[in-house]
Amino acid sequence: MKFFTKKLYLLITFTSLVFGFMYTSSRAEEPWTSKQLMAPSDLNKIIENPNAPKTYIYSIGYQSVIKNSIDIGPGKVAENQKKFRKHLGKLPKDANIVIYCGCCPFDRCPNVRPMFNILNEMGFKNHKLLNLPQNIKVDWIDKGFAVKK
Amino acid sequence: MLRIIIIGLAFLLSFQTARTQTIEKKIGEIAPEIRLPSPNGDTIALSSLKTKVVLIDFWGSWCAPCVKEQPALSELYKKYKNSAFTCGNGFEIYGVSLDNKKKQWQSVIKKYKIDWVQVSDLLFWTSPVARDYGIQELPFNILIDGNGVIIAKNLHGDELKQAIKKLLK
Repeated sequence: MKFFTKKLYLLITFTSLVFGFMYTSSRAEEPWTSKQLMAPSDLNKIIENPNAPKTYIYSIGYQSVIKNSIDIGPGKVAENQKKFRKHLGKLPKDANIVIYCGCCPFDRCPNVRPMFNILNEMGFKNHKLLNLPQNIKVDWIDKGFAVKK
Repeated sequence: MLRIIIIGLAFLLSFQTARTQTIEKKIGEIAPEIRLPSPNGDTIALSSLKTKVVLIDFWGSWCAPCVKEQPALSELYKKYKNSAFTCGNGFEIYGVSLDNKKKQWQSVIKKYKIDWVQVSDLLFWTSPVARDYGIQELPFNILIDGNGVIIAKNLHGDELKQAIKKLLK
C-alpha cells in the first residue's frame, strides 16, 4: 500500500512539473507578462471612479465597446498600427495605457500581439492588456461592466 | 461556521449568475425569433423559413474559423437544400453575422459565393441576438426542425454532416 502511495505522489509531482513547464513555456512567447494582464473588474473600477488616475483605453479590435475607449481599429491592419503609433506619440512614457480586442480567445486573436509589441518597442512603462480570455461579450458585456451608449 | 461559509458562497454564486445575461438555449426549446436586415436592407425573419430544416450559423467576417467553415456549409447547402426530411421539407442556412462593418461582411459573402440567407444588425458582440441565444464563442450554430424546435447545437464538420443526413426521409 505504502509503495503505491509513494508511486502516486511521484506521478502527481511529475505531471504537475510537466504541465507547469508547458504553461510557462507557452506564456514565455507572449509579448506581455502576467503582471501586464489587467482584470476586467479592475478596469471597470477605474472607469467608474472619477478620481482614478488618467488611463488611456484603446480598442484595437473590431468595435470599441468599452466606455471611454478610443477606437483605433483591428491591430492586425498596418494602417491601424500607424494610427496607434501616432496616438501614442503624444503620450508620456509613464502614461497608464490599457488595450483590448475581445473578438475571440487570445490564442486566436490576430490583433493584440502587434499592438502590444508597439507599446513595448516605444518604451512605455505602464501599459497593460485587458484580460479577456474568451471574448468581450462573456468577459465584459455579460458581467454588466461599463459600455458605450 | 461552515454553514455561514456555504450560505455566503451560495449567495455570491447566485448574485454572479443573476448578473450574467447569458441564456443558453437547450435542445427541445423553440428557437427565439430573429428579424434582421440582409445585406440589401430587407428584413428577413427566421420564422419565414418555417417548414424547412434550418441551420442558424452565427459567424463574423473577422472570425477566421467561421470563414474557414463557409465552403463546407456551401457543400451542405447544395446537397440538401431541396431534400425531404423527417422533420421538414428542404434545408436552409440562416447566417447571422456579428460583423460591424457592412463592407467587410459583404466582401466575404461575395468571396465565398454565399447564396443562402444572410442577416446582421452590424452590432458585433453587442448584438441582442448574441444575448438571446447565449452565444459564448464563434463559430456557433443551431439546427432547427420545420417547427422551429432546436434539434442540435454547435455541430461542425463531420458531426454536422451526419446530423443532417440522419434527418433525411
